[in-house]
Amino acid sequence: MADRNEFLQMVRDSLGVASGRVIEPDDATAFFEDQSGVSDQAAAVREHADSSRADLLDEMADAAEEIGWVIHRSTSPEDAVAAVTEICRSAGAKSVLRSTHDVFERVPVDAALSAEGMAVSIATREPSDDDAVDLERRLELRERAFDTDVGITGVDYAVAETGTVVINPRQGVSRLVSLTPPMHIAILEAGQVLPSLDELFLLAHDDFQKGAHRGMINLITGPSRTADIEANLVIGVHGPVEVHLVIVG
Amino acid sequence: MRVRSAEFKKRSAETARDPRRQAALQMLYDGLHKGRIAAAAATDNWEELRVKGRAIKWHTIRNLDYYLELLEERVVANGGKVYFANDDAEASEYVMGVARANDVKTVIKSKSMVSEEMGLNEAFEEAGIRPVETDLGEYIIQLANEPPYHLIAPAIHKTREEISDLIQQAAGGPREEDPKDLTKTARRLLREEFRTAEMGVSGVNFAVAETGSIALVTNEGNGRMVTSAPRVHVAIMGMEKVIPSMQDLSTMLRILIRSATGQRISSYVTIVNGPRKAPEEDGPDEFHLVIVNNGRENLLKDPQLREALLCIRCGACLNACPVYRKAGGHAYGWVYPGPIGAVITPVMSGKKRAKDLPFASTLCGACREVCPVSIDLPTLLLRLRSDLAEGKAAPGERSSVLMERLSFKIWRFGMLHASAFGLGGRIASAGMWPISRRGWLRRLPPPFSGWTSSRDFPRIAFRPFRARFRSRGGG
Repeated sequence: MADRNEFLQMVRDSLGVASGRVIEPDDATAFFEDQSGVSDQAAAVREHADSSRADLLDEMADAAEEIGWVIHRSTSPEDAVAAVTEICRSAGAKSVLRSTHDVFERVPVDAALSAEGMAVSIATREPSDDDAVDLERRLELRERAFDTDVGITGVDYAVAETGTVVINPRQGVSRLVSLTPPMHIAILEAGQVLPSLDELFLLAHDDFQKGAHRGMINLITGPSRTADIEANLVIGVHGPVEVHLVIVG
Repeated sequence: MRVRSAEFKKRSAETARDPRRQAALQMLYDGLHKGRIAAAAATDNWEELRVKGRAIKWHTIRNLDYYLELLEERVVANGGKVYFANDDAEASEYVMGVARANDVKTVIKSKSMVSEEMGLNEAFEEAGIRPVETDLGEYIIQLANEPPYHLIAPAIHKTREEISDLIQQAAGGPREEDPKDLTKTARRLLREEFRTAEMGVSGVNFAVAETGSIALVTNEGNGRMVTSAPRVHVAIMGMEKVIPSMQDLSTMLRILIRSATGQRISSYVTIVNGPRKAPEEDGPDEFHLVIVNNGRENLLKDPQLREALLCIRCGACLNACPVYRKAGGHAYGWVYPGPIGAVITPVMSGKKRAKDLPFASTLCGACREVCPVSIDLPTLLLRLRSDLAEGKAAPGERSSVLMERLSFKIWRFGMLHASAFGLGGRIASAGMWPISRRGWLRRLPPPFSGWTSSRDFPRIAFRPFRARFRSRGGG
């Protein structure tokens, strides 16, 4: 059994430093930036994302298309519902699993998809205080996620620099909905796009400072891909083969 | 994993003669190397990012104790467990303990180079647990029972015919050769594993001390599966993988991914902040972070060699290296091939068996030029060569060192005494006459055969230059 004190002492001995020392600040890392300012900076980032929403949405659409998202731009919620329905219908989907992102209140897809004869289910379970019961319910959700044709989610952020959508899993937002079905549809609204990864990680940092962080942050950029066989690019390995980005606004 | 670097000469020669492997190595150059160049060229502040990334890593390594302790504290605060393992055996033992405690039968693994150091798959098998590699390349080499050939393209040496045989053996059914069909079959086979495995094991691309997070960079989606579907997640990292701040990730991801594959970002970047936080729908109930030394302290305690711990394992130096591109990944004999492997393998393993590796370089500097954190690999290789010549790193190798020293003593004497130099030249010239043809020597007896086994040696002229110079009225 290794001893953590001995391990850390080994590191100190190797470096020739003493324990409990004050480390020299270094401009290269954000670690030494004024931590009290993070919250203000985060507010400024959100304000910018909101005030530049149209430009950022265009930038995002371009970057996302380049990286393999199929882009559907819609100007109204009704258009977005129609776009989602058409994507599922032309893929011949029989079952659809969706998250409970807020966007579904504005873009209500369930009825339209059901009308096409698809089985629509919501990727959530009733949490239980009984661990065994809760586990059973979570496993039931996992089975549904593995067996569904299409997963539909909202997004929490998007990053224009890279064409990335960001999803923070939580109750109602399963980690698997955007992963296990062969097709993923993400619905993006104006005001959710950040210029670059810098802003994304600033906001993530802010979440940590407020204790608002969750178990995982997922950055998703286009479909699943590999080049492991003779360096041939193949789309669709373990994650979705086809990914659609429905942009509202 | 056993260090087999002593076979470098033999195995690199085999690869150099194998047209299939040479074709595969050329693909790395055309695909990944040129992709990296294009990605760097398309990034306005590329050099600035490299400088910044290097500074972040240097700062962390110089204060490694501080950041490891902070990382531990924050992972625990997130609900995870941290284990510090001094060597591969301790790390394996801990992982086996976690698996046993959870009654694990199948483990799904996403790529982890440290787990290769540990021979973790063998340890699982010995414990009666079935390990399944889920990165397509890693899956292929697991079927072939081989170590990875490249840091990010582990099965690049395998032809589609070979892969076809391996996958058909695993899947049954008709033989397929189209990479698309092969990938689809692997997807089908591995899906059942993702659905049912009780434990996931992953590597770590970066660990963020301040928030107790780990970041995983993948393209296939297996990294997400491994960290989302099973009840238990064990992440394994070398102790140098920590960075200070969540906000440092943007710089580090930008330089890592462009250098590795030429992409602006990979399909997935997954940031794990400990176990599932209730009432989340899914994710593991247990998160373990195993922080491994396994010989890294040998690098850390040397102020010059410490620089090798800046490495973020992008593989760019392999693709750029003219020696790697001829010798191939397996010749290096352990987990890390190419220029970075030639530096860290002998130092980490502390074994004289890897003494050939620092010489497996032309010192052309291509590796330093492409390295995202500008590690001065040629200088580190020279330093190791000098250690070996001094007999430091290889205490059992005195004989060749003595021969080298004796040769240089004789040389020195000749260079300092004109008469001895002239006499030596005449003796050598006369001795070479009977065994030379058309002015060249094809074969010499030991210890000179080391030269003639790979190239001819010109016969020393009868009339030395000085004599000819004088006869033309010079001097």
